[in-house]
Formats: sequence, structure tokens, C-alpha cells
Amino acid sequence: MNQELKKKINSSFPSAKISLPKEKRVVIEVNRDAVISVLSFLKNMGYEHLSMISCVDWIKEDEFELIYFLNAYMKNDEEYGEIEKSTILLKTRISRKKAKYITAIGIFASAEPYERELHELFGIYFEGHPRLTPLLLERVYEIPPFRKDFDTRKYVKEFFEEIPFVEDREEGKE
Amino acid sequence: MRELELYFGPQHLGMVGNFSITLNVEGDRIIKAASNPGYLHRGFEKLMEYRTWIQNFTLVCRINVIEPDSMELMYSMAVEDLAGIEVPERAEYIRSIYLELARVGSHLFGLWAYANMLGFDTVANWAMYHRDLILDLFEEITGARVYHMYIWPGGVRRDFPKGLKDRIVKTLHKIGSGVPDYDDTFFNNRLFYDRAKNVGKVTRKQALEMGAVGQVLRATGMKYDIRKIEPYAAYDKVDWEIPTREDGDAYSRIWIVRDEMIESVHMIFKLLDDMPEGSVYNRIPNPFKWNIPAGETYVRCESSRGELGLYMASNGEDKPYRVHFNTPSYSHGLTILEEVLKGESVADVGNIMMSLYIVAPEIDR
Repeated sequence: MNQELKKKINSSFPSAKISLPKEKRVVIEVNRDAVISVLSFLKNMGYEHLSMISCVDWIKEDEFELIYFLNAYMKNDEEYGEIEKSTILLKTRISRKKAKYITAIGIFASAEPYERELHELFGIYFEGHPRLTPLLLERVYEIPPFRKDFDTRKYVKEFFEEIPFVEDREEGKE
Repeated sequence: MRELELYFGPQHLGMVGNFSITLNVEGDRIIKAASNPGYLHRGFEKLMEYRTWIQNFTLVCRINVIEPDSMELMYSMAVEDLAGIEVPERAEYIRSIYLELARVGSHLFGLWAYANMLGFDTVANWAMYHRDLILDLFEEITGARVYHMYIWPGGVRRDFPKGLKDRIVKTLHKIGSGVPDYDDTFFNNRLFYDRAKNVGKVTRKQALEMGAVGQVLRATGMKYDIRKIEPYAAYDKVDWEIPTREDGDAYSRIWIVRDEMIESVHMIFKLLDDMPEGSVYNRIPNPFKWNIPAGETYVRCESSRGELGLYMASNGEDKPYRVHFNTPSYSHGLTILEEVLKGESVADVGNIMMSLYIVAPEIDR
């Protein structure tokens, strides 16, 4: 089944690198311009459930890796075919310095909160997204906090050491 | 009529959990709704990058308060996959039994929240009492009531204590004997029907477009359940059915929750009877010097609220490089809730939200 899928994608997108790391998983790596067309191609093939968009900060290579997780909903309410069993990981790499990408909302409406989250936590700007407003955080950070160069421990140290400990309070002071 | 902005939660009688919705209302009708999560954002996924593989166990279970067990399972399955650890057969059975107990406990909690919302305080208190009986079982199995840290890579932390099977059966029979009462007072009650029928309707088309999973999808008639699609633990070794309904409204979703509890209890009985003997744990390397080979994995399971996934990447060190949980409440609470609330009345906001089974800490992580 996944071998067939591999052939089909390869015939339409010869530049895509496809690997089958284990049963039920298909990993497709494409360059950044091809993602939207591959997404709509996969959706037409029946993978109509975008279950997540994730991002990995590969700081040594100075790149972000965006990963789109696709599953198929059942075509028939009662039975499972082969297509529902596989998960597709569609990957692409974008530059860390110019962290800008295109939104996938046009194809998958469920992409909206995931892109909002990545914008907030990784600082990736998704062009065409209707509301890239804060989702989870309540403060503005210089470096978006989920990037690898944001050091949580250093931040906590700097942030909280400004507040004096009760033991250090001068005696007699109100 | 004048349009007003109304803040529904986090401090609101109709809100369960740390969550807020900004409503634009005209009179009693909602024109626009915007979900505001983040009240419980603890940054677990970032914190995990600073802790060793084994230290993270104390964090994963805290992602979801009402059902921490599927999170433990996800983390263990991902680590097992990356490190190539096998799980003994008995541990697979124990995992399934334990996860189904957790599902019943979680559904009872959900039922408490939902019944409470509609003003069925008696039913809510029964549900909380019955959940407490399950927590007693958890205390006996794991030593903790809420955050168990029981499922480990390579199996489970320890075997079931002696005579536990009888006590599980006894407790489940006790809870099961309450089903006729629940049905008379709540599920077959005209008041529940009137409040929930045709409220918060998610059509099949909407469900597919907005990435619904779990009860929201099964309430439109699709038997979509990861336990069948991609069986893990011992779910492929027993026979069981997936309850569905057709209408996609709050009424259907809550009935599915009820039916799932009964199905889970039957499944636990079957699993208990078939459980093989043997070890429950394959040794892992010294956890203080445990480096896992570089690689990535995506695992998924069916939690009590729907499909739960975990993406994990390792770069060969003693800590994970990236952890990302894909939780069912995320699409339900942020995409579907906003869409479904449009046109409904303010009095039904809590009703719809709890029928979608939204658990706020799961969104925030």
C-alpha cells in the first residue's frame, strides 16, 4: 500500500524524497515551494485529516523543520481500509533567519491554531494567516521561547533573581 | 440590537477548567466566539528538552489532569520505538486494563462536569463517587490516585497486587449497578433530551473539515477509533464494539460517552480473563547514562477524548530533542468550538463546551 503511494507521489513530484521508516508511516521530504501542492495532492488522495503541524529547531544547521502530519478519515463508516492505517509526515526545511512561510488554511481549516502556535512559540510568520494573535503566552519574549537558543534556566534565573528573598529582608523594616 | 462583548470564563459559573471564551453577543444569541487558552500553559514540551528520558515521566502525566494515563502510554511508546525496547505480553494486557479503567474514570469525570452544567447535581455527585472508587483501584495498583507514573518504557512499573482481579470486578459491578439509576435520572430524562438535542450540532462535513476526532466524529456515525485502526497494547486480542450515534449533537456525544464506559467495562472483564502470566517489565539501560539513538517517531493512541499523538525526535543524547503532543482537545476547543457556538444561545455555551469534552490543560500543555 505505502509502496503504491510512494510511486504515485514520485510520479507527480519527482523531487520528493520518500522513505518508509516503519510499517504505517510514510515520510516525505520536499523543498519549501512544493509543500502546498503536495498537501492538496495528498488531500485529493484521501488524506483529508491534518492532525498536527509541528516544528523542530535544528539550530546547528540553522534551519526549522516543519512537519505536517496527515491521516485519512474512513471512507466507509464501518470498515477500515489500508489507507486509514498510515500516517504521513510531510517535511520541509525553512531558514531560521527568515522564518517566513505560507499558510495551509486554504487546504486544511484545522491548520489555523497550529500555525498560530508555531508563530508564537517559534516565531515563524505564516503569510496569509488571518489571525496570528497570541495564543498561549502572556508576555513578549525577545527570542520566541521554544527556539533552542532560548535558555529557560537562564531566563528563570535572570527573571526571578531580581525579586529579593524573604530571608534577605532587612530586619525592622515594614 | 446592540452587540456586546462578553467574557465567558475563566471565572464563570458555567466554565469548567482554566479556559475562557470571548463571545460577541446580540441579546442572547452568539455572533462570534473566540477561544482563549493559555491559562495553564506550563511549557512542558520545552521543559522536557532539559530533562533526561526518565525524568520526563513526572512531567508527561501532568499534561492532562483527568486522564494522565494515555499521556504516559504515548511517551513510553515513543521511547520504546526510538530505543527499540520490547514489551512483555503480560504488560500489554495490564496496560490495556489500566487504560480502560482510566477511560471509565475520565468519562465519569466528564459526566460529572456535564451533568453539573445542566443542573443534574445528583447525577454529578454519583459520577464523582464512582470515579473515586476507580481512583481507589489506581491507588492500589500504582500507589498514587491522580498522577500514577505507572507505564514505563519496557512495560509497567510493577505487577498487579494479589487478588486485585476480584477487587476490580467487584468495583466495576458496583459502578455497573448504578447504570439503571443513571439512565432513569439522566440519560432517559426528558430534561436532558430537551437541553441537549440539536444543540451544538457538528455535521459530518464540518467534522471532517475541522479535524474532529473521538466522540465528536463518532457522533456523526463514523467508527473512527485508533484502538481498532492501529491497535496497540492488547486491543487487538479482544472483541469489542465502537459505539456510535448519527446526529452529531450534544445529546449523541454524551450517549456515546455512556456507551463507551459500558463497552470498556466489558473489555476489562475479557482482558482480565485472558491475561497471561509472565514478567511485566523488560529491563532498560541505566537511566542516568541512557542515550537514545538519533531518530524520530510518531505514535498515536485513542485517549478518552479522541486521537492522541506524540511526535518525538532524538539527536542521540540523554534528553529528547523535541517533544510535541497532538491532543484531541486542541482541534475541538480551538477550531470546532468557535464554529459551533455561532448562533447558539449564551445559556448553552457550557453545555456545548462540555459535550465536546474539552479539557483545557491538554490544549495548553
